[in-house]
Amino acid sequence: MKKNKTMIVVFLAPAVIMFCIIFLYPIFRTIAMSFFKIEGVTDAVSKWQFSGLANYIKLFNTELFRISMWNIFRIWLFGGIIVMGLALLFAAILTSGIRFKSAFRAIIYMPNVVSAVALATMWLQYVFSPKFGLFKSIGELLHWEGLAKFQWLDPSHLFFALLVAYCFGMVGYHMLIFASGIERISTDYFEAATLDGASKVQQFRYITLPLLKGVTKTNITMWSISSAGFFLWSQLFSMVVSNTQTITPVVYMYQNIFGAGNSMTERNAGIGAAVGVLLSVCVVLIFVVCNKVFKDDDIEF
Amino acid sequence: MKKKMLSALLCATMVAATLAGCGSSGNQPAADSGTEAPAADAAEGGTEAPAGATGDGLVYWSMWDAAEPQAQAIKQSIEAFTAETGIAVDVQFKGRTGIREGLQPALDAGTNIDVFDEDIDRVNTTWGSYLMDLEELAKANDYEATANAGLIAACREVGGGTLKSIPYQPNVFAYFYNEEIFKEAGVEKVPETWDEFLDTCQKIKDANYTPITNDNAYIASLFGYHMSRLIGEPATEEVVKNGDWDNEAVLKTAQAYEELASKGYFSETIESNQWPAGQNTELAMGTAAMYLNGSWLPNEVKDIAGEDFKWGCFSYPAVEGGVDGTEASNYGAQVFAINAKSTKAEQAFQLITYLTKGEADALLSEMSVGIPADTSNTEWPTLLTNVKPVMDSMTTRYPWAAGAEANADMTPIIVENFTKLCGGSLDAQGFVDALKAAGN
Repeated sequence: MKKNKTMIVVFLAPAVIMFCIIFLYPIFRTIAMSFFKIEGVTDAVSKWQFSGLANYIKLFNTELFRISMWNIFRIWLFGGIIVMGLALLFAAILTSGIRFKSAFRAIIYMPNVVSAVALATMWLQYVFSPKFGLFKSIGELLHWEGLAKFQWLDPSHLFFALLVAYCFGMVGYHMLIFASGIERISTDYFEAATLDGASKVQQFRYITLPLLKGVTKTNITMWSISSAGFFLWSQLFSMVVSNTQTITPVVYMYQNIFGAGNSMTERNAGIGAAVGVLLSVCVVLIFVVCNKVFKDDDIEF
Repeated sequence: MKKKMLSALLCATMVAATLAGCGSSGNQPAADSGTEAPAADAAEGGTEAPAGATGDGLVYWSMWDAAEPQAQAIKQSIEAFTAETGIAVDVQFKGRTGIREGLQPALDAGTNIDVFDEDIDRVNTTWGSYLMDLEELAKANDYEATANAGLIAACREVGGGTLKSIPYQPNVFAYFYNEEIFKEAGVEKVPETWDEFLDTCQKIKDANYTPITNDNAYIASLFGYHMSRLIGEPATEEVVKNGDWDNEAVLKTAQAYEELASKGYFSETIESNQWPAGQNTELAMGTAAMYLNGSWLPNEVKDIAGEDFKWGCFSYPAVEGGVDGTEASNYGAQVFAINAKSTKAEQAFQLITYLTKGEADALLSEMSVGIPADTSNTEWPTLLTNVKPVMDSMTTRYPWAAGAEANADMTPIIVENFTKLCGGSLDAQGFVDALKAAGN
């Protein structure tokens, strides 16, 4: 085939130009911004004051930012273990040929359809309420005082409450990805294993799990990206002013760009940009580690 | 060859069209707001006709959400304004976060906005450089004849000595209480000093009610107001901003609250109260007596509290040996401002005057259970009758939370530890130590 370089260039140009404007330019601008002190996020470049690494140094020296990084790490790790564990379990059960499969799948996926605002309000003002909450009622019904009197929302347990509520909403989504991964595996393998006398658990351990490597990698990457951008649930779990138990780097970034709470606080979009850069580095790191750990090209099926 | 030329031409057209689509917002600000307005209107539930599209009306970006009573009152008044004057107004209800995030970028991009509103401090400090000086317009229209002098003075003060904003929906931050509970407990006079306050709390507790409740959203104010009573607001703000937690006022404040906690004056669930749990399920439901909040509170909880709820109000009590007394608090307003680049300043000021005076002001006050801005509207909503003497007694103006939230890096840490102090799971020294540790 005759190659026509002009045509290649012409056809690629729109995509390349758009990519540069929409992706590359903001990335480079954000990286540049993180080295400046900038009051308003849309201030003209002439108003930027160069501050070198000052934004990064301030971030590492600020207790609240360190707390927010710790929170996001906890959400990623503990939330990840809970969500991936439950999602895999439900996916395995749903694909094992049980009755009412689609009904169960719809029920588990339901929280993803409901608005996060409604979900969070339900958890915060109803389920966890120390006065008339669901858990309080259940505790009283079972005469289990530990549960009835448990203060989910006080400063010592608020993070735990947030984690429970958030994971509840996320399991369905990751379950669907796992379920589709399992359904992709040919039933021949399972039939052969059954004939050889392998139990369901053994089949899961030696057939399903190894063949789910690629899907697991996808799930972990998606989980990491959504964890890094954790914002809405944090805002909803600490309305008006942020809280040490629920603050995340993105909330911290928001406060530095748009001001915190009802108070007039110092704004610096440069710090916000620095938070963004640090978060991106974290996501890239996780992605690299994931790629190293889950090499999905060694099995073909 | 012809085919080649044609496809190249088509491609070039495509690229040009794509780029033109992107670029228009920056180059043609007027057209931009015109194309955006109808979409925004549709999203907000179909408000006014897009007057901005034709370019001859006013564009007003509002801080209210379309469903709020304030928005409904303003919408109604704007319709009357347009009918009366023939000036079309494209009002876009952006909501608090919408305007907070979007206004400055929109102004920087040259979007056609004539009037906008938000809190007095945010408008004058954060967006100070975008405001038109209104001194001349106010003088020409004799605006101040029926305006609240204290609030106009506050606007001048935050505007750097000149009037750049017009106040409406005034508010004051104070203790709001349930009069029925006070009566039942035998409290005849609102507390003006800390000792009287302790006495009041004890009586309420003896009558089997919870004396004080609060929520995470406002609890830092308790700390700020007590500190400011002791050493004044500027000094409090210094302490918070510079992390001077060794200042003896911090420990004194903490000790005062440790005492309140140890005597059982706080709600049992104070540590778990995530806004609006405390104000809704305790104060409005009639199990708790007092809540330190703004004068918007009766409106927020009116559906829960019911019409016969009797609201009382008193300023945060004075403390012994303190700098400030009950005359100091955070009082202020939402303010209207005109974009310095607006070409329709006269009409914009006409709209502002219309909305902040006479019938429109009375309507807003009635629908939102708010304080009227026009001094000739002497009738306040019944729910706020007891707020009037408190508002009138104010002479010293505190910023939000009396400075307790001046340092965004410390606010969540203050909130966490102060909540624990009020709940009794931390003592006064523990509170100070926790703040000191966080400052390192």
